[in-house]
Amino acid sequence: MMTKTAENIQQKEASQLGFYIALVSWGMLFAALFLSYALYRFQNTQWPPMGFEKVSLLWPCLSTGLIALSSFTIHKYQVAFHSIDRKNAKVFLGSTLFLGFAFLVTQKLLWLSLENSGLVTSSGIFASILHGFTWIHAGHVVLGLAGLIYLLTTLKSDHLGHVRFENRVENIIKFWHFLGIIWGLMFVVLFLI
Amino acid sequence: MTYVHGKHAAPKTFLSKYVFSFDHKVIAKQFLWYGIFFLFVGGLMAIMIRWTQAYPGEAFPVIGSFLFPETGGVIPPDTYSMLFTLHGTIMIFYAITPILIGAFGNFCIPLMIGARDMAFPLLNMLSFHIAAVSGIILLASLFFPLGGAAGGWTSYPTLSTLIGSPGSGQTLWCLAIFVLGVSSTMGAVNYITTVISFRAPGMGYFDMPLTVWGLWLTAILNAIFLPVLGAGVMLLIFDRVFGTTFFLAGAAATSGTGDPILFQHVFWIFGHPEVYILILPAWGIVSDILSFFARKPAFGAKSTALAMTTISILSTVVYGHHMFTTQMSPLLTQTFMTLTMTISIPSAVLFANWLGTLYKGSIRFDTPMLFSLGVVFVFGLGGLTGLYLGTVSTDLYLHDTYFVVGHFHYTMAASVLLGGFGATYFWFPKMFGRMMDEKLGKIHFWATMLGLNGIFFGMMVMGFAGMHRRLYNPFVYEHLEKLLPISTFVTWSAILMGFAQIPFVINCVISLRSKKQAPDNPWNVGTLEWTIPSPPIHYNFEEIPTVKCGPHEFGNPNLPEGKDFQYQTEDLVKA
Repeated sequence: MMTKTAENIQQKEASQLGFYIALVSWGMLFAALFLSYALYRFQNTQWPPMGFEKVSLLWPCLSTGLIALSSFTIHKYQVAFHSIDRKNAKVFLGSTLFLGFAFLVTQKLLWLSLENSGLVTSSGIFASILHGFTWIHAGHVVLGLAGLIYLLTTLKSDHLGHVRFENRVENIIKFWHFLGIIWGLMFVVLFLI
Repeated sequence: MTYVHGKHAAPKTFLSKYVFSFDHKVIAKQFLWYGIFFLFVGGLMAIMIRWTQAYPGEAFPVIGSFLFPETGGVIPPDTYSMLFTLHGTIMIFYAITPILIGAFGNFCIPLMIGARDMAFPLLNMLSFHIAAVSGIILLASLFFPLGGAAGGWTSYPTLSTLIGSPGSGQTLWCLAIFVLGVSSTMGAVNYITTVISFRAPGMGYFDMPLTVWGLWLTAILNAIFLPVLGAGVMLLIFDRVFGTTFFLAGAAATSGTGDPILFQHVFWIFGHPEVYILILPAWGIVSDILSFFARKPAFGAKSTALAMTTISILSTVVYGHHMFTTQMSPLLTQTFMTLTMTISIPSAVLFANWLGTLYKGSIRFDTPMLFSLGVVFVFGLGGLTGLYLGTVSTDLYLHDTYFVVGHFHYTMAASVLLGGFGATYFWFPKMFGRMMDEKLGKIHFWATMLGLNGIFFGMMVMGFAGMHRRLYNPFVYEHLEKLLPISTFVTWSAILMGFAQIPFVINCVISLRSKKQAPDNPWNVGTLEWTIPSPPIHYNFEEIPTVKCGPHEFGNPNLPEGKDFQYQTEDLVKA
């Protein structure tokens, strides 16, 4: 591990701040979606609209479990990165990647189950919301997975704990947690209430 | 904390120097040329729109028969809709935004706060290239079957759904705006972080030039509200491509209803701050330039910064005034009206401070100052006419008339354009190391000023008389027939304004080709960028400067004979 220079410290502070601002921007994108959802719910006296039933919770619950678990494993990877524990870094980054891909699989299964129950994209606002909002989230998960794949480069023995990778590791992990939180909110408002 | 910010060797190859440059100054120039190119495209569209409004049914001169051979050179109605849609889109997102925010934001922020570059140079470079991709998508949309988007720059459903706009043009418009939004958000993240983290030692927030304040507040609004538009256009893309029904209501949606008005909410939650996103940089630039050329400290500089901040905050809660005619509840309309009127207070502070700066100043009427005084005039007119549109009772009559078009052009086009030109003349020597010609600059100013007032004041008169916007040929209606002479006057004013840009182009070319090097500080101004050579060296500052006083230290009686300003790096001269 290299000694941190004043430049590293300044760049780290800027990187953290910049990424928090970026998360605010991403947060606003999803906030706009939730605002739209709230308006649709208020406008429709009956929800789900007439002719539709509540969606089975099987796939949404499984997705929630997977992404929650992946937040835990990515945290463990973060600890391993800083303590230069290569074995654990490998295990937990690998697990996070697996869980991330598994999350996408459950999302695909959710979309198929929606279509099988007649909720195709063109069948009204209820189906539009379920499909559209989860697509947007899944798109971001793909972006997050690309970040996780990039983190594989940190598994080289001299990269772990290296100051050059520190900001990127921190930011990708923050983004992954952010996606977990957004999914949690989606799970509650789209599927539970 | 030691302020060091990375320093790398200067790029050597053409590609790394001019195309894939990480240098904020090069990226600023890239955005400048990008914006000027689109300014020309959007301007040509404006002339075509105006031609149709003055000479309906007559062929567009010179290039008409080449562009519209099927109609003998006459602009067809569907093309007319595309023209006003893309004129608005291009001018707002592809001309003003890149010039004011992309070019001057990139150029000024690091130089004026004493930084070597932006916080994230790679992000900065990507921001330009993503903007370039967006521009290509938008222009390419014109060549698809059924042409480009034609639902207005606001792209309200149902005009922008597949029902109102079949074909790929509108979809590509949405995609282009989304991609551009990504680019601008990346820029915003960079600007905000740079201002917070990389100010030179000793530079507090109120020691920053007001230009930086304007650009910083713009970046904050951009980072918060652009994603809201992003969400809206993304859902619109889903409606158009995947058959969802977010913005389709009634019979168009089979079960459960979507809501076309929702898009208006989402659009204006972004759209009203967007007005300030565009104008805040111009306000900041003008606030500085007025002080620099009046040779006086900016009157109430702190209150100007705070007024701009207050306006930015209030701009987030007034968007409903764009939607008074959407059957909004009276309680809401009155709430939005009151909040809108509240903006008058900080705006009046800002305006009074400008006048206070000019009062008893030793004014130098150089070209940047002329353009800044132009902004004071046109923004005054634009702001005051906004009161009629923010008031529910008058807005119901004036909504969607040319009065609105005249008003928002005064605020968003005239003010911002003049501010942009003022900034160009002011920072040109620092950017390119060459002075622009003053005589050509003054011809450019007066001809532009005459043209734009003829256009936008004429539009307001027409709108007050009841002329509706976006009509292909309004004069088929009996009650509007008498407005044809004013419309023709507006058109010729637009043509004058178009020709008025020729001296600017000539000036740019002559100045860039000139061999005469500009002085390091031709305007005798004390902000940090004028302490270094013109153009600045790679990474700007050999040593990061230490700031010891404010940016507007003029006319201090304790200064030695023959000097009326001091640099921000100098100790404040005391008796």
